[in-house]
Amino acid sequence: MGSSSGQPEFDYLFKVLLIGDSGVGKSSLLLSFTSNTFDDLSPTIGVDFKVKYLTIGEKKLKLAIWDTAGQERFRTLTSSYYRGAQGIIMVYDVTRRETFTNLSDIWAKEIDLYSTNQDCIKMLVGNKVDKESERAVSKKEGIDFARVYGCLFLECSAKTRVNVEQCFEELVLKILETPSLTAEGSSGGKKNIFKQNPAHTSNASSSYCCSS
Amino acid sequence: YDLNSTEEERDSIRQQKQKEYENLRRQCREIHRRNENGSDSKQTAQSSNTEDSQVLDSHDIEQVSSSTRSIQVEESEKLNSESIRQDGDCEKSGVTSEDDANDSDSTNSEETETSPLLAEEEAERHGKVNQEKDTQSPSSKPKFQAEEEFNTIWQRIIRLDAVRANDEWVPYSPSQAGVSDTKARGIATQVGLTDYEDLEPCRILHAARLVAILEAYAVYDPEIGYCQGMSDLLSPILAVIEDDAFAFWCFVGFMSKARHNFRLDEVGIRRQLSMVSKIIKYKDIRLYRHLENLEAEDCFFVYRMVVVMFRRELTFEQTLCLWEVMWADQAAIRTGIAKATWGRIRLRAPPTEDLLLYAIAASVLQRRKTIIEKYSGMDEIMKECNSMAGRLDVWKLLDDAHDLVVNLHDKI
Repeated sequence: MGSSSGQPEFDYLFKVLLIGDSGVGKSSLLLSFTSNTFDDLSPTIGVDFKVKYLTIGEKKLKLAIWDTAGQERFRTLTSSYYRGAQGIIMVYDVTRRETFTNLSDIWAKEIDLYSTNQDCIKMLVGNKVDKESERAVSKKEGIDFARVYGCLFLECSAKTRVNVEQCFEELVLKILETPSLTAEGSSGGKKNIFKQNPAHTSNASSSYCCSS
Repeated sequence: YDLNSTEEERDSIRQQKQKEYENLRRQCREIHRRNENGSDSKQTAQSSNTEDSQVLDSHDIEQVSSSTRSIQVEESEKLNSESIRQDGDCEKSGVTSEDDANDSDSTNSEETETSPLLAEEEAERHGKVNQEKDTQSPSSKPKFQAEEEFNTIWQRIIRLDAVRANDEWVPYSPSQAGVSDTKARGIATQVGLTDYEDLEPCRILHAARLVAILEAYAVYDPEIGYCQGMSDLLSPILAVIEDDAFAFWCFVGFMSKARHNFRLDEVGIRRQLSMVSKIIKYKDIRLYRHLENLEAEDCFFVYRMVVVMFRRELTFEQTLCLWEVMWADQAAIRTGIAKATWGRIRLRAPPTEDLLLYAIAASVLQRRKTIIEKYSGMDEIMKECNSMAGRLDVWKLLDDAHDLVVNLHDKI
């Protein structure tokens, strides 16, 4: 039965990882997304894990989202969680410049080192746009970074919930567009044995690729 | 303190420890000031003079306020068994000759490390040898910058975490909860904490005290410095002990064991996790096999419990309860109560250094049925463990942990 018992069945399971400096709001972003609330959270120790069910088009998705600690000290530990991720969200704080520069100096290299998925979708997210007056990184810089590193880009606020859902949805849409990743998500995971209707899934996945 | 010590001896130890703490704080302020000055540090001798006197002033204030606080503490101590036990705990570790040697070692190395900086500060303070300084600084700067970089990273994260500390402690320390806004902000300014937005005064005070002590600790123990999770460990101590110097040395005592969990090489934490794994293996081979099947037998899903010692899973009061039982065990071992004594009292758990790990294993074992029947991945177990908050009964946990100790301490 597994944890999906009592939960709606799903067509795909995707693993998403949140990375970035300490205090940029990774956990807040996740909380804002999974439970529609905002809180100043205690620092994450090691890794945390949350699940969110989404329906996009006709597809039922299960997102397994891993939230990692930002401090360098935990990096050896968190490195093992890159394995098998279909999506990686790099978060920075638009009011703290160093959290942005560290993405290229540190975090992008971490992805190169530890990500096992060549086609893994990367997304750049600038958080805390509610503090517009304290902004230290312009939107254009974010766009430029995204262009260089070939990733999606959005600015959001976990506090006001502006663009929070879009962050995850855009990422998921892009994953769904990538055949190698949808194949993994629908048949690679252990969870697929719980699926009720595998035939339906494979049908749908091909049609979805075309439609998007 | 030594059990046979006189009041004077205890007072002098206390004063000496107070001074050592003040010394560490001074180093923190100096590092902080240098960071703030940064590149535009080429000020006239005069301006740096006035700044110095300001710093000294605030230093005096800090001293005065903490000494008045220590009187309060002494009073509350008589009522408060918690702080007595903590005192005993950390003083003991401070007094044993081994730890003393360690202490003086680390402070010595601290001094040698920072003495060039201090010397430079001194010179600036007198404002006489400015030109010589300028010619010297280019060669000496890179080394300082490296050090400062470390310090800025720690200082920044410490402030970030201090402001994020929760307010569960508030009902347990009315005197700190009722701090005035002006006083709280004053103390925050002293430690260079400015980014606290719209926190209530008591939380500003708490954050400022966290910053002061965590920074001092980072200077005291540069190998560990600051690692996230340490603020979780310090916060409850601050709630019970109102004097900063006192709280600092208790924290040092606490960290003498806990620091291994924060090591960069992860040796400490891995040893602890493998111990939890072993306890589960000996107690419940079926659960262990299940974990093996899920490739989760390394027990990384209890990582957070080990690092912050159940602080995230238990309420404030429950945490203090668990920690005190843990410390009592460790104190019993230090006082040399031999296993043999316990052997005579059948069925009672002997004191163990690792009660925490038995408790963690117990919390996992309490969920064995769910884990075996329902969970098919390490992620699900981690989710279960990270969401135990508010669902644990600390007494049941301790009972189960003690049962495990009785059954397994010989094997492990």
